[in-house]
Amino acid sequence: MVHITINGKVVKAAEGEMLLTVLKREGIDIPALCHHEAIEPTGNCRLCMVEISRAEWEGWKKHVTSCLYPVEDGLIVNTHTPEVIEIRKTIIDLQLANCPDSDVIQKMAEEYGIYKTSYETVPEGDNCIMCYACTRICEVLGKSAISAVMRGHKKVIAPPFGEEPPDCIGCLACAQICPTNVIPWTDTDSTRTIWKKTFDLITCTSCGKAVITKDFAEYLMAQRQIPKEYFETCDECKRMATARKMGEIVTKAQEAAL
Amino acid sequence: MTRQDLTKLTAIFDHYPTDAGSLIGVLQDIQREFHYLPREAMTKTAETLGVPLSKVYSVATFYNAFSLTPRGDTIVRVCKGTACHIKGADLLLDQLESGLGIKPGETTEDMKYTLEVVNCVGACAMAPVMIVNNKYHGNVACNRALKLVKKD
Repeated sequence: MVHITINGKVVKAAEGEMLLTVLKREGIDIPALCHHEAIEPTGNCRLCMVEISRAEWEGWKKHVTSCLYPVEDGLIVNTHTPEVIEIRKTIIDLQLANCPDSDVIQKMAEEYGIYKTSYETVPEGDNCIMCYACTRICEVLGKSAISAVMRGHKKVIAPPFGEEPPDCIGCLACAQICPTNVIPWTDTDSTRTIWKKTFDLITCTSCGKAVITKDFAEYLMAQRQIPKEYFETCDECKRMATARKMGEIVTKAQEAAL
Repeated sequence: MTRQDLTKLTAIFDHYPTDAGSLIGVLQDIQREFHYLPREAMTKTAETLGVPLSKVYSVATFYNAFSLTPRGDTIVRVCKGTACHIKGADLLLDQLESGLGIKPGETTEDMKYTLEVVNCVGACAMAPVMIVNNKYHGNVACNRALKLVKKD
């Protein structure tokens, strides 16, 4: 257990924990786009920048990305100093130039009083901030179907050879984790298309709604030993069935009590 | 891929431990052997080393040393760094472009020559510099450039 000072308040934290995790637990609002509990932090978006110092540093301080900074005893953290706000504003301003059409970034910019970027906007930008959340989550899932292709300003997130990714199982983790919602996918009643690859969907046996792609279900059955029956009904119908069963038990118990 | 190519590939794989750390070494050897990274070779590399195909493709497209399209037997690099630029690298490149009938980044149809532009090779005192199959030629005169290439 370590003790750190956040904005003047002493807070306990577990050793080795990342600063951003502690700050979020303390209810401090720190903007972050590329951070997610399911994936390792990489400090790509730079938005979670805070100011740190220590008593023995004699007033010396530095700015770090809190998602990547492990807490240590005696750390003094300031999250909203004028310098930190200035740094954050610059980063948001740059992100706004990079992704002029992203509502997530527009909203974030407005919170910091930026309504128009002071930089030249990227022509034909696709709102991708290159945070790698999608490739990292795909790796965590054990698939790594997509990756960064090329480099520099030509870099894009894409499947190998720009074709249907052979390892993709249509789980949508990449599209759902994307902070700026740039990965498109489409669902019909029985198929799902993502990364130009089309998957068959398993439909709920009781309501007919789509549950999961066949490939994803098969993967979960093999990897996580989830029984096949689990994928036969949708979440809503599962909840309904459970509620119905509970109701029956309660009624039976009430009847028995009478 | 022919059987001969597959044997070459297996020989490369045998040189390295089968783990992710061998990826760049293996790709470099494939590049040297085939003058580019054939698609099938990349798939095989992924399977053999147990690296996701997306990662192999990511590395292959990241480094300039790797080419995804077939390249010629002779690779001609023209330096267009500051010193070479001042000493007339453009004229040199013009001569080679018209002489070989290709633009930078392209390969002749007979797969003999590939023309490339590089930024600086650290031999500015010899500007303008041209590299033909890793052999450095300094103070290249425009009218001599094509002869030097064809001689190699």
